[in-house]
Amino acid sequence: MTRRFAFTPYLFLAPALALVATFVLYPILAVVFYSFTDFDIITSPEWVGIDNYQRLIGDPTFWKALTNSAVYLVVTPTVIVLSIMLAIVVNRRLRGISLFRALYFVPAVSGSIAIGISWRWIFERNGMLNSALISTGVISEPVQWLTDPDYVLPIAMLLTVWAGVGYYAVIFLAGLQNIPEELYDAARIDGCNRFQKHWHVSLPGLRPQIVFVAVISSLAALKVFDEIYVLTNHTGGVLESGTTIVFYLWRQAFVLSNAGYASAIAIALLLATLVFSIGLVRVLERGEAT
Amino acid sequence: MRNRTFPTLALVFVLALVACTPNVDTSPSASDPVEPSGSEVAANSPDASAAPSDAPAAPCAAESSQEDPIMEGVEEGAEISFWTYFLSPTFDEFILCTIARFEEAYPGVTVNWEDHQATYLDDYRNSINSDTQPDVANLSNNEGWVREFAQAGALLNLTDNAPQEIIDQYFPNLFADNLVDDDSFQFPWYQSIAVELINTRIYEDAGLDPAEFPTAIDELPALCQTIKDETGTLCDIRLTVTDYLSQMTYEGGVDVMNEDQTEFTFDSPEAVEWLQMYVDMVAAGTVDTDALTTALDRVALLIFSAGQAAFYQTGPQLIRVVKDNNPDLYENLALAPLPLGKSGVTQPTSMAISVKADTEFPNASMALAAFFTGPRAMLDFAKIVPVYPSTPAAFDDPFFSEEPELIEDSARPLAREIIENQQNILPPIPEKADVNDIVRQAVEAALFADVPAQEALSDAVEQANALIR
Repeated sequence: MTRRFAFTPYLFLAPALALVATFVLYPILAVVFYSFTDFDIITSPEWVGIDNYQRLIGDPTFWKALTNSAVYLVVTPTVIVLSIMLAIVVNRRLRGISLFRALYFVPAVSGSIAIGISWRWIFERNGMLNSALISTGVISEPVQWLTDPDYVLPIAMLLTVWAGVGYYAVIFLAGLQNIPEELYDAARIDGCNRFQKHWHVSLPGLRPQIVFVAVISSLAALKVFDEIYVLTNHTGGVLESGTTIVFYLWRQAFVLSNAGYASAIAIALLLATLVFSIGLVRVLERGEAT
Repeated sequence: MRNRTFPTLALVFVLALVACTPNVDTSPSASDPVEPSGSEVAANSPDASAAPSDAPAAPCAAESSQEDPIMEGVEEGAEISFWTYFLSPTFDEFILCTIARFEEAYPGVTVNWEDHQATYLDDYRNSINSDTQPDVANLSNNEGWVREFAQAGALLNLTDNAPQEIIDQYFPNLFADNLVDDDSFQFPWYQSIAVELINTRIYEDAGLDPAEFPTAIDELPALCQTIKDETGTLCDIRLTVTDYLSQMTYEGGVDVMNEDQTEFTFDSPEAVEWLQMYVDMVAAGTVDTDALTTALDRVALLIFSAGQAAFYQTGPQLIRVVKDNNPDLYENLALAPLPLGKSGVTQPTSMAISVKADTEFPNASMALAAFFTGPRAMLDFAKIVPVYPSTPAAFDDPFFSEEPELIEDSARPLAREIIENQQNILPPIPEKADVNDIVRQAVEAALFADVPAQEALSDAVEQANALIR
């Protein structure tokens, strides 16, 4: 028996497929091609084989940027823990709780550049943090936080956590509200205190949300750019202290006009992200199975 | 709960707007020439940027002491595209009036004008790649755009193609800015001059006299030390992070390449001495390192305009930022000439207009570029914003010899002499952006990682030479 080929579904799919092919597939393939070329955007790309990839291996700034991006992943467990705690705190029927929920969600709907600029005001030499520390006698001279290589990345990570907690807390809040109240009642009857109740009921109940947040927040951490761009005044920080892999990619492509090399960095980032995501999901799923 | 959803979302939206509004910075960066609101301009940066003045503007005035340059052989019926950089909407009237006069002078020729802003450089690069490059474009000399695009073969050689009488209308040093193989690829447009703005209150509190501001760069470390010791204020000076080679050339008198232009030599004793000066200032804690290493002129400018620095190098047109942000400081401002480096000269800070290499209408395109950069248009422009002409003739107008009333205009009578003596002494640098990035890393290693200046620069020279071999 022969099956008749149906055109109609493909006809309906065609517009979406055309858009995906034009705006997703073609750029990815173009980046793969450019990664094997010497391309300065102005003149035609020149085929150089695997030169760009060989250069990556010997480029200390690339490895520094990759290390910084890996360090940035610390944001993920931090943001998960804080978001769950916040979700538990606001998952109550209290007067004015809607206002509180709205307030902590504000960073999520604010522009990242706007947030970055306001954070600069806090950490500048004459900023709010130094003023507070000097007025309380903790320090006698202002600290130049944003040009100290030890502080640039932690400040950017703190910013990411602050900006993300509200958003992820909403996801966990939705998860908490789906956990049947009976489970908490049973835990209470079994003698659980408040901490044990959340440890044994809330956390297992939030596992799907934890997997989801772990994946999207770690991908966001690997792709961080805006915070670094604003906090370091477009420089990546002294001694590359805040240079992440996407920031380095941007600098190579749009400051140094090395679009071919930047494409190779993009491919390396793609592979690293892919491997990391698959690994992370497998680990989290294995935890679920046990 | 459900009936609270809408008010809650509305509240979130309003709070987000409130949170965002004061923080959004729409002003152009240091490399942006003109901010649409006219409140910020970067003259310390290589760009000769412009911000509108309070002076009465008469861009469409029928009368002028100056003539527009007219070229022979302009193609009939030519339709040419023209891009400017960050000039709209503030200067729309000036540009549209100049285009109208041009089209009247060349009947049948049409100009299609577009102003591109923050993405200008990307747009221009992409236009070359996609074969939509404008016939005539406003490029920055100091950012190295002219040389970059000329070396890529994208610009018309004006030394070979422009009529001699057009070339002769410019200051020779400005037409010769950014030569490639001894040829010029730009008509110089509006110029800026850098000066030192002095906060007289801090300066005098430090026991110093603004009239005796240092005349040489190497006096700055001692000055900064005195200011810190006496007032606790740090110096607000900048390294040109996008062009270290230029800065060490002018300030340190460094020959960055050998005579044959085959090897880099910026690890010479002069270069080490130049870098050591900054290393010592950072070690002594006399400079704001955020301002020192920023890529944005705005950062250092705002420190000065907030009254937190004793002096700041910028263009007189930026005094308006001080006036707007801190009227009290404006009342306590003094101006001093820029201290000279070991080269003994200052760098031209100019915008330019260039023509597409393979334009269909080379004569019409050159005519438009010459028209906008000519004495008549430049005089009109200088009357609405404190920028200066690239043509000696324009300075003959009494406007430039009148005694200025405002401090921001006080450099006007000196402008011609300053501009005439500016020189671009930086040779063409192969792989310039990459080499500058190597130098940036070396400078940061010396400033912040205790690497000796000699070692940092010698390593950088080795890497830079490997790049061009």
